[in-house]
Amino acid sequence: MKKLHALWGDVVEFVTVLVRQGHPGPDAERYRTFPHKAADAAAHQREDDVPWTILVDDVDGRVHRRYGMLADPTYLIDDDGRVAFYNAVTHAPTLHRAIDELMSRGGRGIVLGGYDRRPHALAAFAGGWPALRRGLPRSVIDLETSLPGSGVLPLVGYQLRGILRPVALRGQPLPFRARAGLVAAGVALAATAWKMRDRRRRGHRVALGR
Amino acid sequence: MRTIASREGPRPYNYRHFRLRHFLAEGLATYRAEGVPPGALAPDFELPDTDDTKWRLSDYRGRPVLLHFGSYT
Repeated sequence: MKKLHALWGDVVEFVTVLVRQGHPGPDAERYRTFPHKAADAAAHQREDDVPWTILVDDVDGRVHRRYGMLADPTYLIDDDGRVAFYNAVTHAPTLHRAIDELMSRGGRGIVLGGYDRRPHALAAFAGGWPALRRGLPRSVIDLETSLPGSGVLPLVGYQLRGILRPVALRGQPLPFRARAGLVAAGVALAATAWKMRDRRRRGHRVALGR
Repeated sequence: MRTIASREGPRPYNYRHFRLRHFLAEGLATYRAEGVPPGALAPDFELPDTDDTKWRLSDYRGRPVLLHFGSYT
């Protein structure tokens, strides 16, 4: 999102609405008072170095509910105040394309068909740990007991963030060459794995004298 | 100081534990793209920022807004 802001921040107004604790824990309990929520919004701005406005929704999530109550969505709102694009799971490269199209249409109308409701799990895998860490240990225990792997995987992704960042945490869609390269690497990896499996099978047959 | 403790039901908005049902509800709501549909007027609201300055969505007509919802945890 920061990369997206660096690209578009001068023509698009970026704003985050702070909602309920997604993964509460002993040091990040659920909100019962507005000052607690406002303090977390300020901490989020400071700790994550967020360069755009952060708004504090009320404790009951009045605005959050009105906008669908998802965990991490983004709306692109056009010059007339209408929804141009609804990104159900925030994905910066898709938003980049949406903004680009909105600009080419003079800032009005629905873009990219209006919706993106793909899960985009890779960004959460590579970038979700810093938020999850604030709710430790309960945040991870709750995730592991509801869907095994979902609590620990973001930690693995965080350790691999240096490698994953160019793909998982980018601000723009991958260029065609990079995408083609990734597909080619995937095919080569699969072919190598298949060959090794085949060779090992043949080896077994020879050893057994068949 | 405003408190919601008296209004918390068995499934409060501000939950203490993230459960499988939250996962499933999120997946279903994402699939259905619950929220404000494209083409609709974005509901206006006014909220304070981190400096306690009021921010109103309709003040930004004439300029696109990227409205993101996110959590501290």
